[in-house]
Amino acid sequence: MNQLRSEALSPSEARRAFGGHAVAYSFAISTFVLFAIFVVVRQSRPFDLAAILPYRADILNGFGRTIWVSVISLIGSTSLGFFFYLLSASRVRYFRAFTDVFTEIIYGTPLLVMIMIMAFVIGPAFGSTNRALMGYVGLIVYITPYMTNIFKSAISSIGAEQYMAMDLFGFTPWQRYRYIIIPQIVRILMPPLMNNFSLIIKGSALLNVLSYRELFYEVQLMTNNNFRFVEGFLLMWLLYLMITIPLSQVTKWIDRKWGI
Amino acid sequence: MKLELEHVNHRYDVDVLHDLSLIVEGYKSIAIIGVSGSGKSTLLRLLSGLEMPTGGSLRVNNHDVTAPEYRKSVGFVFQSHNLFPHLTLLENITIVLEKTRGFSRKDAREQACRFLTMLHLDDQVHKLPRNVSGGQAQRASIARALSVDPEVIFLDEPTSSLDPVLTYEVLSAIKELRELGMEFVLVSHVMSFVHDFADYVVFMDDGNIGEHGPPTILENPQSQALIDFMAKVP
Repeated sequence: MNQLRSEALSPSEARRAFGGHAVAYSFAISTFVLFAIFVVVRQSRPFDLAAILPYRADILNGFGRTIWVSVISLIGSTSLGFFFYLLSASRVRYFRAFTDVFTEIIYGTPLLVMIMIMAFVIGPAFGSTNRALMGYVGLIVYITPYMTNIFKSAISSIGAEQYMAMDLFGFTPWQRYRYIIIPQIVRILMPPLMNNFSLIIKGSALLNVLSYRELFYEVQLMTNNNFRFVEGFLLMWLLYLMITIPLSQVTKWIDRKWGI
Repeated sequence: MKLELEHVNHRYDVDVLHDLSLIVEGYKSIAIIGVSGSGKSTLLRLLSGLEMPTGGSLRVNNHDVTAPEYRKSVGFVFQSHNLFPHLTLLENITIVLEKTRGFSRKDAREQACRFLTMLHLDDQVHKLPRNVSGGQAQRASIARALSVDPEVIFLDEPTSSLDPVLTYEVLSAIKELRELGMEFVLVSHVMSFVHDFADYVVFMDDGNIGEHGPPTILENPQSQALIDFMAKVP
């Protein structure tokens, strides 16, 4: 539909609309940059990024660990989420009830609480004192019901009539999955999957409470030593935005390009 | 075309069709009409082999409609176009021909283009269904139904989701196909179209066959049900 509408615009109208769009966004972004500058110059101490330099290797490592733990959690929660989707679609009533109860518990739990419980209560019960590992597990378990949900909605978006058409033309079960069902599900799944990835990246900051040396932890360690809170926290903020904003832009692009 | 219904019953939770028996032979385009819930779409689905009757037997051109190979010999056009949304108009046809009819890639493409051109879509073939109008999508779905070389094409209210302009566009495409000798069974609400398109009309009334005969029965309805129906539809 979008394409149809843009075709209806004359070239000059389209240029003006695009120009307006770009100008509005430059102004909006400038507003936030100015706000950041205002906040920086209002500090009592002069802004000195050089104070961070001695810690750059540690901070970069923390940044790397944040990405690493997020990727692991993405893979883990996607797999577990798909497994729970299968349970929730099962004919066994217990399995469906199990996933419902699980979802309710997780939705009602703050992520910080989940991580603490996993590291200090559930982990030890299974003989694990590896807090980093339990932190991963906590993050994975926490995101799982969100993943189950996106599988549910993606799979249910293929309507009964499409299955009728597949029946009518005589596609074999393998062909249905290979050519019709999975290609559609992948396209529908991508944007919410990327959103969840962003959720994981942001959530991973909480792993600092387990002394897991991700970005937040490393920056905090530095500020405790050199008291450069302003420089450290602003840099940290910027580093998070450097992953999450491109991610959300890519998501929008994929949705425009691939969406169905 | 020849339709034979013998004591056809069908039920979901309630009885939808009650003991239908009918033999119609020698017509090229048959229209099924009736109010919503009268069982007309159900009858069309049974005739096309999309659903199995709970009782009785149906034969179309001497094929038993419950035979698995029968489905491959029919074309079906759904209410909403029902194209696969992730494939272009062209791919929607080539995937069917290549994967289920054993066409080579090149032959599938040629056949698909031929039918898309016949439905005046030659400049839209590489677009996704969401990027064409409802009328164009519905015509592509007619092209898809035609491309498998069906004996009979079943159309289930093919214009019910379209505005009047797009409805006209789709109906005139169907008319052109009739002139090429295609055989149709169609469920429609557009009486003016039924009147000059169909050469036989079956009026469904609450799960029973009310009146049936050439389209002239619409001008001179005998039963109260058909009189009421004709008074209500435009």
